[in-house]
Amino acid sequence: MIDLIAITDHPGPPLPGSLSLRAVPVDGLTAVCAPAEREDATVDALWRREETIEALMADRDLLPVRYGTRLEDDAAAARAVTERRAELGAALDRVRGAVELSLRVIAADDPGEARADDETGGRTRSGADYIRAKACLVARRDAGVRTLHEPLSTLARASVKRPPRPPLELLRVAYLVDRPAVEGFTALVARAQRSSPGLRLLLTGPWPPYSFAER
Amino acid sequence: MSDRVLHAPPDLELFAADRPEIEDALSRRINADPENVQRGLAQLVLTVVELLRQIMERQALRRIDGDTLSEEQVERLGRTFMELDKRLEELRLEFGLDEEDLNINLGPLGNLL
Repeated sequence: MIDLIAITDHPGPPLPGSLSLRAVPVDGLTAVCAPAEREDATVDALWRREETIEALMADRDLLPVRYGTRLEDDAAAARAVTERRAELGAALDRVRGAVELSLRVIAADDPGEARADDETGGRTRSGADYIRAKACLVARRDAGVRTLHEPLSTLARASVKRPPRPPLELLRVAYLVDRPAVEGFTALVARAQRSSPGLRLLLTGPWPPYSFAER
Repeated sequence: MSDRVLHAPPDLELFAADRPEIEDALSRRINADPENVQRGLAQLVLTVVELLRQIMERQALRRIDGDTLSEEQVERLGRTFMELDKRLEELRLEFGLDEEDLNINLGPLGNLL
């Protein structure tokens, strides 16, 4: 049994030697395979997979394959790629020369400012004060997120928004950024952080284009 | 992983709230002892109530923005949400649930809230 790791161009640079990877060429593409992991999915196994894909990403464009895609042998891998040749080729073209950057934004202003149990100057705040404070907070955060995402998305080739995790997270986006533009993108995030004291920005990458491998 | 951080604020630990999640996702087991069943049920019910609260609150905020409500109506709405917020928090604490627990991961659909 083999695990399908990634789809890359063919021919490509030699595969990193230490990882017992094998290249199965299929009609202008390469299915990068590895002997099937014997153990169940563990955090270590996931990290090993991530390191492998990142090592490949260092010197080639690739489509990461969903973890756990297991096939009988090289011939089965070749058949699987042939069946979706056009779709995979188009997807690889879409991410060519680009990497994924991940942005998470959380609110650092006090979410407790509209809490129910707040008391102002010894008296319990009124219902109107409470709901207006909430409205104000929501509007401020929405505006902050909008002014942040728009300039970044113009610098990226594509972006995918994921549902943010409450209560603090406001934005979770994956950007597909041309490799040479990563530095400029990072600088823009740093600038955005300076002008948004109520938000905290975390930018990580470059990652394999996980969010852009499928349309 | 730290070599993948391109930009981080000094208070990076704010982002660490959901870090144990990978382990949780890999070792999810159904634990059917009576106490856990009760807690699980409370979690499910409170999540649905929280979802409804958020939807109603969004709606209320829109109406306030639209300036179609009298001052008295705004006060009444505010008081209702304030009470709801307080009561929901009390119930949450009673069942030992975090704010994060009032959310359900729907797999490919993302989180409920």
